[in-house]
Amino acid sequence: MDARFPAAPRRGRILPAALVVLVAIVVGACARPAAAPNTVPATPSASAPASSAPTDSPSPSLAAAFPVTVTDDEGTPVELAAEPRKVVSLTPAATETLFALGLGDRVVGKVEDFSVYPPEAASVADVAKFGSVDVERIVGLDPDLVIAGGSNFNPPESIQQLRSLGVPTVVLFAPDVATALEDIALIGTATGTADEAAAINADIQAAFDEVTSATAGVPARRVFYELDASSGFFGPAPDYFGTEMIKVAGGDPLTSGTPGVYQIEAEQIVDFDPEVILLGDAAYGVTVDQVAERPGWDTLSAVKAGAIRPIDDVIVTRPGPRLADGIRALAVAIHPELELTGASPAASAPESASTAP
Amino acid sequence: MTGPILHADGVTVEVRSRSILRDVTLALEPGERVALVGPNGAGKSTLLRTLAGTLRPTAGRVLLGGTPIGSLERVEVARRLAVVPQQAALPFAMRVEEVVALGRLPHEAPLRGTRPSDRAAVAAAIERVGVGHLLGRDARELSLGERQLVLLALAVAQAAPVLLLDEPTVHLDLRHQVEAMELLRDLNERDGTTLVAVLHDLGLAAHFFPRLVVIDHGRLIADGSPRDVLSDALIRDVFGVDPALVRIAASAGRG
Amino acid sequence: MTTAPLPAGAPGRLALRLRLGRPSRAGWLGIAGVISLVVVLIGGIVLGSVDLAPATTVAILAKRLLGIELGITWLPTAEAIVMDLRLPRVLTAMVVGTGLAVAGATFQGLLRNPLADPYVLGTASGAALGAAIAVLIPVRGLILEFGLLHGLAFLGALGSVTVVYRLSRTSPLAPLTSLLLTGYAVGSLLAAGLAMAMYVSGTGLRQIFSYLLGGFDGTSWLRLVVAAPLIIGGSVAILVRARALNGFLLGEEAAAHLGVDVRRERVVLLALASLVTAAGVAIAGLIGFVGLVVPHLVRLLVGPNARVVLPISALFGASLLAAADVVARMLGGVPVGVVTAVIGAPFFLALLRRARTGYEL
Repeated sequence: MDARFPAAPRRGRILPAALVVLVAIVVGACARPAAAPNTVPATPSASAPASSAPTDSPSPSLAAAFPVTVTDDEGTPVELAAEPRKVVSLTPAATETLFALGLGDRVVGKVEDFSVYPPEAASVADVAKFGSVDVERIVGLDPDLVIAGGSNFNPPESIQQLRSLGVPTVVLFAPDVATALEDIALIGTATGTADEAAAINADIQAAFDEVTSATAGVPARRVFYELDASSGFFGPAPDYFGTEMIKVAGGDPLTSGTPGVYQIEAEQIVDFDPEVILLGDAAYGVTVDQVAERPGWDTLSAVKAGAIRPIDDVIVTRPGPRLADGIRALAVAIHPELELTGASPAASAPESASTAP
Repeated sequence: MTGPILHADGVTVEVRSRSILRDVTLALEPGERVALVGPNGAGKSTLLRTLAGTLRPTAGRVLLGGTPIGSLERVEVARRLAVVPQQAALPFAMRVEEVVALGRLPHEAPLRGTRPSDRAAVAAAIERVGVGHLLGRDARELSLGERQLVLLALAVAQAAPVLLLDEPTVHLDLRHQVEAMELLRDLNERDGTTLVAVLHDLGLAAHFFPRLVVIDHGRLIADGSPRDVLSDALIRDVFGVDPALVRIAASAGRG
Repeated sequence: MTTAPLPAGAPGRLALRLRLGRPSRAGWLGIAGVISLVVVLIGGIVLGSVDLAPATTVAILAKRLLGIELGITWLPTAEAIVMDLRLPRVLTAMVVGTGLAVAGATFQGLLRNPLADPYVLGTASGAALGAAIAVLIPVRGLILEFGLLHGLAFLGALGSVTVVYRLSRTSPLAPLTSLLLTGYAVGSLLAAGLAMAMYVSGTGLRQIFSYLLGGFDGTSWLRLVVAAPLIIGGSVAILVRARALNGFLLGEEAAAHLGVDVRRERVVLLALASLVTAAGVAIAGLIGFVGLVVPHLVRLLVGPNARVVLPISALFGASLLAAADVVARMLGGVPVGVVTAVIGAPFFLALLRRARTGYEL
């Protein structure tokens, strides 16, 4: 039976709350200057005696390229006092880009990647993986530049921690092709290889132009780009990188209809009646025959026409230098009758699993 | 101290529009020994709870040492009034001595914990109630009767001048019932502890308690010595049994 | 007012026997707790994914903490690793471990349920939902290095306990039963909300998920300094009320008879334990087992006296969680919650086998 006395106020909470306020005031008054959230100064320990700078060819850029301040995709200005000698890449796309820019020997750490490219990148130490970044290890490498992935690809907390420890960190996120090209250019600027970056972008642009003109007169084909079918169907969201790629490649993609949502109902697929089915999950072992045998799928135009094709999801959706290959492979997969110069046989699926962008 | 040490004044208790106690007035002088008797569901336990201050009456009031019990700090009440409940659930393993030691809670300073005087009081209580042979045992493994004795020891350790007991002998065998009654009498006569015990056994009550209070259907029916209270008519009306049964038990042993 | 006189010559043998036994075991356990704390502290500073010579680590600590020069030089990166990464991380893990263990002990005592943990009244679900909502909201700002995620997790935890408490008061059931059942119901509802949030989260799913698994990435001195007073202060405030917690051992009615203001103490203890849990959960995510297994084990060893259980649980909770974090780091970024589960579950199963009779509630 409850003792019916009037309830007392929650005194127990006032004391800790007051302590918090008091401490907050004290701490705020003597907060470390390096904890400022936005502008990140250059590494204070640039003159560390024992770190061995790897010998590499001097970059062919203009001598006055540094110091430089780049603005990353989150709008944060990052200042680089000198040309970075040691770079850490926390996205597979950045890894590819760095190697394509000829900076492979400057990459001291990368994010774990199951479809690593180029093959030389495999020997670089892994300092991060899906959803976690080993900040301590990165700090131990004393890098001059870290390239991280935005939109929660790397944990924002880790990025913030790196910045508060004085490591120049650039956050990139490319939801569309245009931004992907800007990112490549930005990496070039930040590493003193702006010319090489422009060259890569020119190649990509040329490939896009070629594909655009080749598919100009051809009616777009309805495409279902399968990302995963292990438990329910996953396909492109309207704001997905791959969606834009498919459109450029002359396809009319089926999307979930809601930004950020990748689930697609089986009914939607049947109702859409795709003319082409691209297996972006071919790397996970999904085969053409498996798809053709799915119950109720024999009514689909793509199945009847035998237009189920595996595709290397990595080159199609990774916002890096291989986009040129990706757009061509996509175009050929959607419109096999097209003849494209330089179309690489990259329509086949790689053996290992891949991580997206 | 002048005036009653514990005084229920016109106490009425209603729970969800059901009347449990109706206008009960009961005054206890220091050093009294009172048994509360009555049929099942009469309201005895409710009256005990009200006297203990854990149940606020719908009407009327309870005074402890002349002060309304509701206006006293619970700690203060606990120093002056101890309660032996019918049972207590034990979710954790607790040794018998740890259970008894809880009786010292009202006397402990919040931070300092037990002092040698507390430990001595616990030891004395255990010895006095006669549960020394249970030391070190897990209280959950005791029989119901043994547990009842441990709860009694707890209240004795609390060393309060007023002791309320709710059916303290329900699970005890006959010998232990008598021993418990003799202990209560001893606490009352030697230590001066004021006792109020709810008892179901009229014979025990009549034999060991000089004052009987009969409750039936929430009302105080009778209040006085066993001889005066336990008339044939009352036994028949209130308890619904042959008065002869009660006579035999009450007259056995010393009067 | 008379107090019952002690009988002449209180039995010395009995009093002696009462003095020995559990209290000395508590002493040994306390010493063991302090030792393990020191060991884990050292381990957490010396070990990590970067190999630092122990001499270097000692030299850095000596210089920064005591101002003593030991004649060894080191890289600025080494200093950053030791002082800005490892040290605050170990200390944060200890603080959170303390909070979880103390809160767990409090809930177990208050709810008289040895299987209660700090999350039993919906704190975990509330925090998780708050964090998920924060991930969905495209606001990025920091106050004292805490993001929206921490703020909403904290508020979510406190909010859900408040809702559970208020709702439970309207039920005709006994207060404890009502609390437990309402906690379960509200927790389930919040979990459903969380599932929905995860469904629409898109790329934010990763962040929500890593929050759910719990971890100490991103700890910093500033965060520690803000959270520690809440957690340590709250824990101390609970410790001061150990007497009331002991009163609850035989039930709320017995507690009232022993002089505990049941109404007030229930609210205050609940509020303090929830505050400590909410703060811990806000900075470290949902880490399980510490709040359940540590106080339970301690109670098995030293008895249910809160005055002993609370501080010893604090010591071992701190050690366990900090040790789990070191192990998690050495294994290459395994979530801390996984490590505590792997350590905690076998312990718990062993506990259950030792339990002699069923638990009475």
